[in-house]
Amino acid sequence: MGGVSDTMGTNFVTAQLDKLVNWARKSSLWPMTFGLACCAIEMMATTMPRHDLARFGMEAFRASPRQADLMIVAGRVSQKMAPILRQVYDQMTEPKWVISMGACASTSGVFNNYALVQGVDQLVPVDIYVPGCPPRPEMLMDGIMLLHERIKRGEYFAGREKQDGLAGVNAAPHMDPETHLSAGRA
Amino acid sequence: MIEVELTGSEWLERATALKDEGWWLADLCGLDRLHLGFDERFGIVVQLLHRERKERQTIHVAASGEPPTVPSITSLWSGANFFEREAYDLLGIHFEGHPNLDRILMPDDWVGHPLRKDYGVGKVPVDWIPQPVLQIGAPGQSPKGDEAAVRLDHLGQVIDEGGAP
Amino acid sequence: MSVTSDRLIEKVEADGQGAYVEYYDETEEHMVINMGPVHPSTHGVLRLLLELDGETVVKCLPIIGYLHTGMEKECEDQTWRAAVTIVTRMDYLGCFFNEQVYSLAVEDLLGIEVPPRGRYIRTLMAEMNRLSSHLVWFGTQGLDMGAMSAMFYGFREREVIIDFYEMVTGLRMNNGYFMPGGVWEDLPDGWEKAARSIVALLPVRIKEYEDLLSENPVFLERTKGIGVITQEEVLALGATGPIARATGVDWDLRRDMPYDAYDKVSFAVPLANEGDVYARYRVRMAEMRESVKILEQLIDQMPDGDFKNMDPKITHPPRQEMNRSMEAVIHHFKLSTQGYTVPAGESYAAVESPRGELGAYAVSDGGTSPYRLHVREPSFVNLQSLGPMARGGLVADLIASIASVDPIMGGVDR
Repeated sequence: MGGVSDTMGTNFVTAQLDKLVNWARKSSLWPMTFGLACCAIEMMATTMPRHDLARFGMEAFRASPRQADLMIVAGRVSQKMAPILRQVYDQMTEPKWVISMGACASTSGVFNNYALVQGVDQLVPVDIYVPGCPPRPEMLMDGIMLLHERIKRGEYFAGREKQDGLAGVNAAPHMDPETHLSAGRA
Repeated sequence: MIEVELTGSEWLERATALKDEGWWLADLCGLDRLHLGFDERFGIVVQLLHRERKERQTIHVAASGEPPTVPSITSLWSGANFFEREAYDLLGIHFEGHPNLDRILMPDDWVGHPLRKDYGVGKVPVDWIPQPVLQIGAPGQSPKGDEAAVRLDHLGQVIDEGGAP
Repeated sequence: MSVTSDRLIEKVEADGQGAYVEYYDETEEHMVINMGPVHPSTHGVLRLLLELDGETVVKCLPIIGYLHTGMEKECEDQTWRAAVTIVTRMDYLGCFFNEQVYSLAVEDLLGIEVPPRGRYIRTLMAEMNRLSSHLVWFGTQGLDMGAMSAMFYGFREREVIIDFYEMVTGLRMNNGYFMPGGVWEDLPDGWEKAARSIVALLPVRIKEYEDLLSENPVFLERTKGIGVITQEEVLALGATGPIARATGVDWDLRRDMPYDAYDKVSFAVPLANEGDVYARYRVRMAEMRESVKILEQLIDQMPDGDFKNMDPKITHPPRQEMNRSMEAVIHHFKLSTQGYTVPAGESYAAVESPRGELGAYAVSDGGTSPYRLHVREPSFVNLQSLGPMARGGLVADLIASIASVDPIMGGVDR
């Protein structure tokens, strides 16, 4: 590149501020501890020595939503947990992303019944869905790296744009009292 | 099928006697006997264990009245607290004498008792959305080269030749 | 006025004051705060309502249900064979134990026998599972008390065992491997070498971990005399497993009411007397050593033969037979579409899971799906012991106690 390097030599690298910020954001994405069920164990295993997630700058799982940028919803979300999930998502500061880890978080997995929210995307906008029951640590890392690519490209709100008209707080599905079938997406 | 079936009033006496003998509460769950042909629709099933004799015992207790009620045994074995709350939550069986009979697994404002036989599973119909298919010529023919094939990126999404992936 | 724990939740919902303190009692100066369900140290989604006098816990009320999945209802919607895939996700660290207890209950109803090789394979996988579950306990116990390295060590060993599961069953977790009648597939070639290498590796590592923690003064400070529960309280609450054995209750289902191949192996049942966190730690570490001993014996004694009951009414006949026999095709068809029917009746089976007595109560009305399946999960009962353990201790001690109870919320809430 021209500019500063010409006059001051090769000790300086110039780049657009946007690109630098995106690169910094993706390199130290701090996940939030939202491990709910079996996927939480695989999420923990992803940070462990065998499949080391710390290589990507993500070993610091922050328990406080104010300090986290990524919420990995790992596990099945029950009706009782739904408002809490939404509240914690709202408490996270921008920019924030959501990875829905596992079949239960993406679409309620094996459990198509009264007790679970049929997919966490009924409550929060999801950026990456990682299938599996539970997904192998390598699969979760693949999902995380896809998210890194998106962040590097500067797509902060990809998940939200896709899900326009999301109902917001307490978007748990409404059950028909006769048949106890959910009305689907709110 | 059932060897020992008691009524509610007999249950408390029997439980006290068994506890004095050294029996220990292993499990307590509710049972909706709607399709099994019993007089009372609801009942509880208690599994007891005697450690010295290495024996197990199953006792059925019919829940009578409206709402179906059974005496609580939390005064004998305090571990029955959670078991009885679960039977109340999921089946609607009331336990007389329970210190805090509240819902334990479902949200507090939930209406209905899910494990009852007249409560549906709550299945959501699944939407099947057709996905683009990789066309490689007519069935039985080999691929005709790039013109017939639709290119997919590594996420399985169709790549438009006009726009960016 | 003070609030009794009976109506504590009502009061809390009624006049919750602010985001942090749920309730403050002026006369006794007790504060009720909420811990969880999203908290780094509650193993899974456990919510605790704590009544605190300064930093001392006066009362501790566990509130559960945040992971309720309706599994018992879901099983009523599946065939008897398919319900294994639901049951295995209850206690997700002890997947094989859930499958084992369910299979034992259904085999009781069906009145069938599992051939010796099947029983030995089940015992082998179950003991491996006990090891991997205790390794996760070790990790979380250390992590919750600040010894982060324990987490890395525990999971490092667990990966070795998980590799074995993957070799045998194809999955790392939630393997649907056991089924009523035996196991789904035989052990693959090379299993013996892998199993023996695990058995050779683990005692060395367990000794390393004991050297790290057992005499460590900081660890002793934080675990001796903490979270004490007496034998009477344990028996009244119905708590089982390491919690009971750490108070001196000499009861282990594997030795006292054996099932599968446990009557063919010899092992000791570790006991302790103090009933505190340190005693539970010692009991679990000793249990890991005993599991390794059991594994050695199982590998040496593994018999040949069928690995599942080959009755065509409940098991798919081998595929080669479908070429020769019409009955085999019909059996395949019936089993794959409707599943097998189980004679009407009820049964209760129990196994010794790493957390205590895991029981399955199955009722059949003669159909192809369970009429009622209730799983008696040890953590559901063991959580009630948090009340006595936490009383009088500090909040930090409560964290150590929760880790020593080792609850798995998937089983608690089902």
